[in-house]
Amino acid sequence: MFKLILKMAWKNSFLRLSRTLLVVLMISVSMSMMLGIAGLYDGMTLNMIDKTKRSESGDLSIYAKDYRVQKDIKYRIENAWSIKKELEKRDGVEAVVLRIKADGLVSTARKSSFASIIGIDLDDEERFGRFSEFLKKGEIDLSKRGAIIGIELAKTLKVRIGSKLVFSTQDISGEINSMALKVKGIVHTTNIGLDTGAVFIDKQKLHRFLGTKPDEAIQIAIKSEDKKLLEILKAKYPALEVKNFLELQPMLKQMQDMMLIFNGVSFAIVMGVVFIGILGVMYVSILDRIREFGIMLGVGMHYKYIRLQIILESLFVGLTGYISGAVLGVVLLIYLRDYGLDFSAFSDALAMWGYESTIKGTIKISYFTNTFVAIMSASMLSVIIPLRKIKKLNPIDVIKAEK
Amino acid sequence: MFSFALKNILFYKGRSITTFILTFISAILFIVYVSMMDGSHDSMLKNSLKIYSGAIEIYHKDYRDIGGNEYLIRDVESIEKKLSLVDGVELFSSRYETYGLLSFGDNSMASMVVGIEPKKEEQLTQLKVALVDGEYLKYGSQNCLYIGSGVAKRLKVKIGDEISFIGGASDNSFVADIFMVYGVFKTGLSEFDDSATFVSRDYFDKLMLSKNIASYITVKVKDLDRVDEINSEIIKLLNDENLESLTWKTLMKSMVETMEVDSIFGYISLSLFLVVIFFVIMIYGFINVSSRIKEFGVLRCVGLSKKHIFLLLFYEIFILSTFALILATPIAGYICYYYSINPIVIEGMAEMYKDYGIVSDEIPFSFDIFTISWNISLIYGLNILSIIYPYFYINSFKSIEASRHV
Repeated sequence: MFKLILKMAWKNSFLRLSRTLLVVLMISVSMSMMLGIAGLYDGMTLNMIDKTKRSESGDLSIYAKDYRVQKDIKYRIENAWSIKKELEKRDGVEAVVLRIKADGLVSTARKSSFASIIGIDLDDEERFGRFSEFLKKGEIDLSKRGAIIGIELAKTLKVRIGSKLVFSTQDISGEINSMALKVKGIVHTTNIGLDTGAVFIDKQKLHRFLGTKPDEAIQIAIKSEDKKLLEILKAKYPALEVKNFLELQPMLKQMQDMMLIFNGVSFAIVMGVVFIGILGVMYVSILDRIREFGIMLGVGMHYKYIRLQIILESLFVGLTGYISGAVLGVVLLIYLRDYGLDFSAFSDALAMWGYESTIKGTIKISYFTNTFVAIMSASMLSVIIPLRKIKKLNPIDVIKAEK
Repeated sequence: MFSFALKNILFYKGRSITTFILTFISAILFIVYVSMMDGSHDSMLKNSLKIYSGAIEIYHKDYRDIGGNEYLIRDVESIEKKLSLVDGVELFSSRYETYGLLSFGDNSMASMVVGIEPKKEEQLTQLKVALVDGEYLKYGSQNCLYIGSGVAKRLKVKIGDEISFIGGASDNSFVADIFMVYGVFKTGLSEFDDSATFVSRDYFDKLMLSKNIASYITVKVKDLDRVDEINSEIIKLLNDENLESLTWKTLMKSMVETMEVDSIFGYISLSLFLVVIFFVIMIYGFINVSSRIKEFGVLRCVGLSKKHIFLLLFYEIFILSTFALILATPIAGYICYYYSINPIVIEGMAEMYKDYGIVSDEIPFSFDIFTISWNISLIYGLNILSIIYPYFYINSFKSIEASRHV
């Protein structure tokens, strides 16, 4: 019996082909567009988060108490080197870097700008966040007077590879010192703070310039997926400030939340409208065949079999729409992931906001599972009203009725 | 044909109600969303123009690209005389910008120090409004310094404290002086508040040897929509190939582009809703038409042409759309108008997005009749497009065949 109902449901689903195809087209177009938009927006946020982690904050960062408020080199971690060694031995910690940082004025012969000088160890940074991947121009070289600067800062100062810079700041004794630097590389990290104001130099050189000790650091950045590590480190280093990525970058957290809300609301609205579309088609499809259902009831077929047939019809339409939408969506998402949308014409604006000129999407399995559940639910719900109409049918009246 | 369409609308209630509701919802969504997007962009721009940037700024050529004292404007007075002749110019003021080192006690920092005409800046910018402590500058303020809240925090200074300044004068000579903290401002633009300080020009010119010299001249126009026209007039009047007069569109190119990108993404998101709604309206139109094939066949048999059939379908969707839009437009228009006067406030938004130049927690809407008109036109257009496929579907039947259709 079930086999027969399945066969009837399948055939009836495509009885009015144009109508069914329109619904399938509606589901597939709206679903693929929705997946594309969700993938693109998530991709933008994830890209920012990934690069901010790699270039600056890591999954966790440790600072001296008050540094993040005062931004003064007085507030530095004194035994940073030993903490780094301890952390590196811990399971789940993938990489640790020490950075030293000071704010000051960077000048060329004609231009000046506020900037932060950041002392880094290139090998550690490469392990930590593949620093060389941020390079846009020049080379990754901090030897001699070499400096690598953010792309927006380079634009502000109008400097090229080989240009000379002078960085002035206070050292730990309060004296104003200046150092001459030569631009060896320009990086685009998409981390707005670094792109607009970072001058990277060799860490040891900056220690000497600022008068800090080699085992001191302003920041210890940690790359680790271990969710318990934050609490462990907070307990272990109560005199220091241990923060996770989202605490350090609340704006990115908010952006992520906003994307989630936006995608959720879009999803609900689109699925609501899709539901109205399926409902219309199923309702009319059943009204068209009301005499047929009357006869089926009249010859003794139980209502539950008719109900099953109608539900299956609706599910077949929804499933066909879902499959075509998923195929279109996958193609669109793969394109967006691999090639992205080229916004080179707006590269200045995007760089200002920390985005790359080509915005790439991402693909999550949850896009497809959530949409599957939503479309199947919409298909199931869309037959409730038509089914109620059939349940109230008097078979004799329906059979007698004019077509 | 019109009354025939009206009767059909009343007869096929299901399709009519669905089309009406969906058109109503899409119109409200579209108008309000575009209004919010345009309003927030206008607000960003106006806030930026209010704080420090001018609608038009006049520079010596290459000052912005190369910089340096040789690219300062050397004859400010004659330019100002010319500017006073331009009808659309409301106000103008010259500024002398330099970078120097400020120190107080053990704390030092680099800062942008600007010589300004306090009275004029009061009308041109939000500098006076942004005062949070002490007093705003006035003519003859001598060595008084008006500093950003970030600078005050960094140097740990309060009103009355004396700050030492070291910098370079307009003739490249070395200058040093003692300034007294006179007032503290906070505009909300974090980078500006963390780095900018101001001194009255009458004093600063003596120190920097910059009398009749300026980094640039900032101009406020009477009507921002006429900025290009006014700028052309200024360029014509200046008639100096060593000077360049630039509007905010060039000065704030990144911000203009940001708004364009934001609009593109906004329209991409909106298109999703409009496409889905378009499909549903088309499906309901198609279902309606496919249940009326016999009726259309009979109409064709009694002499109605294909054009008449199209007109009938057109009138049906036109009437339904018009009713929905007549109801939706005033509601959406009122929402836009209300929120253009009483902006939505999201507490903490400016603080959260300060790095991106967001200086206000308010999101005002834009109320623009032209924008609302094209929004409505687009909804009309989409609804009319939705009858194309049903129309071709009907015409795929021959008249006799259609009149016998079951």
